Amino acid sequence: MLKNKKIPKLGIGGPVGSGKTRLIERVVPILIKRGYRCCIISNDVISKEDAERMQRTLSTELKVMPENMIIGIATGGCPHTAIREDPTINLAVIDEIEKKDPSLDLIIIESGGDNVMTTFSPALADYFIYIIDVAGGDKYPRKGGLGIESSDLLVINKIDLAAHVGADLAVMERDAKKIRAEKSYVFVNCQTGEGIELVAENIIKSILFDKKPIVKKDRIR
Amino acid sequence: MNTDHEFFLMQLADSFFPSGMFGLSNGLESLVKHDRIKNKQDVLNFIEQQIEFQLVPCDCMVFLIAMEAAKNENIEELVEADNRFYSMRLIREVRNTSVRTGSQILNCIIQMTFDKKKNNIAKNFQKKITSNETVGTYPVCLGIAANLLDIPAKSGVRMMLYSFSQSVIAAAIRLGIIEHISGQIILTTLADKINSISESIKKESLNSLWQLTPVTDIFQMIHEHDDSKMFIT
Repeated sequence: MLKNKKIPKLGIGGPVGSGKTRLIERVVPILIKRGYRCCIISNDVISKEDAERMQRTLSTELKVMPENMIIGIATGGCPHTAIREDPTINLAVIDEIEKKDPSLDLIIIESGGDNVMTTFSPALADYFIYIIDVAGGDKYPRKGGLGIESSDLLVINKIDLAAHVGADLAVMERDAKKIRAEKSYVFVNCQTGEGIELVAENIIKSILFDKKPIVKKDRIR
Repeated sequence: MNTDHEFFLMQLADSFFPSGMFGLSNGLESLVKHDRIKNKQDVLNFIEQQIEFQLVPCDCMVFLIAMEAAKNENIEELVEADNRFYSMRLIREVRNTSVRTGSQILNCIIQMTFDKKKNNIAKNFQKKITSNETVGTYPVCLGIAANLLDIPAKSGVRMMLYSFSQSVIAAAIRLGIIEHISGQIILTTLADKINSISESIKKESLNSLWQLTPVTDIFQMIHEHDDSKMFIT
């Protein structure tokens, strides 16, 4: 399988409304500013709304990447199946991307999924970020599940809402530390950008291995 | 008696086999959304009609042609069957899905089998896909896979019709128009028809391919433009 892996692939999973799309909208401009070229595949069970939103924000408004590098897939059926047991359609789209532009530095695959069942097939993602939000309550990390426990990086979003929903960030940190042992976690506010640099650093170190991007003239927009 | 093919038949027909079928409704979603299909009987009728007017005269025929071409290591015929089938897919999302599932099945089958001689034709066909000489549609790649796993042609057709029926029934259950027991009853009801077709079907030439499912085609075209949908097709 390894010989087929060309462009590093980053899986980002999380429940509906946790901030997956917003996280991508925040992280991708940082990566692009450092010279890394990305492509985004947005898995949406019933629509292509997230992909269309990112095309608006990242292509039309921020102009950091071309619209055709943000691909929406309506996976149908079950989001967990589409990224784990049967990633056929995602893998087919990745093949198409690799064929079209083998010089890309990173492919980001976004998919919704609950904390109990979400994991990415190793054939689909080399690095897995799971995102939850504070509004779900400070019990969230403690409750565990595949997403929270097995992800390479746990992102806890919407820290500004903690006081409003009675969530204790110290409890969340204590439990995240306990349940994830040595694995990383980071608190962020995707709305303001707080903590996003840390997420980008993790991606660059852990999946891009600090590889310096090849800066070509046509890469600079 | 060599019964390996029975095991492989179960493996290929299993919904756990990574073929992408779980995400397809084969037109059912759009027909349900527009109140054309409402209940168990409608689902059964839909499957029977698709089998009669789409799968048997076209998909299964291409599958049989591909199986024999793979057996004879006739790469030109595989490519021709592939391109012919692709050109007959009128709806873009159906066309794209057939290619995406087909090429991934081929990749999977190459990695899971070790018969170098038979594997050779699969690998050569994959090279043709990579070099854009062909596309890798579902029935052609499935035909290559069936040949590689020594699955008899009749069993292969049975598997194809079963997988299609199972896929539509699963979609109907998820769409909420039938429940799980009704799904099994529909499958049982289809058994005679599927077995009879599998026993009597004979491979014909590429020039004999046909299909006639205009209502499903129109609703699949509508499905392509839907903002919100649960299934890829």
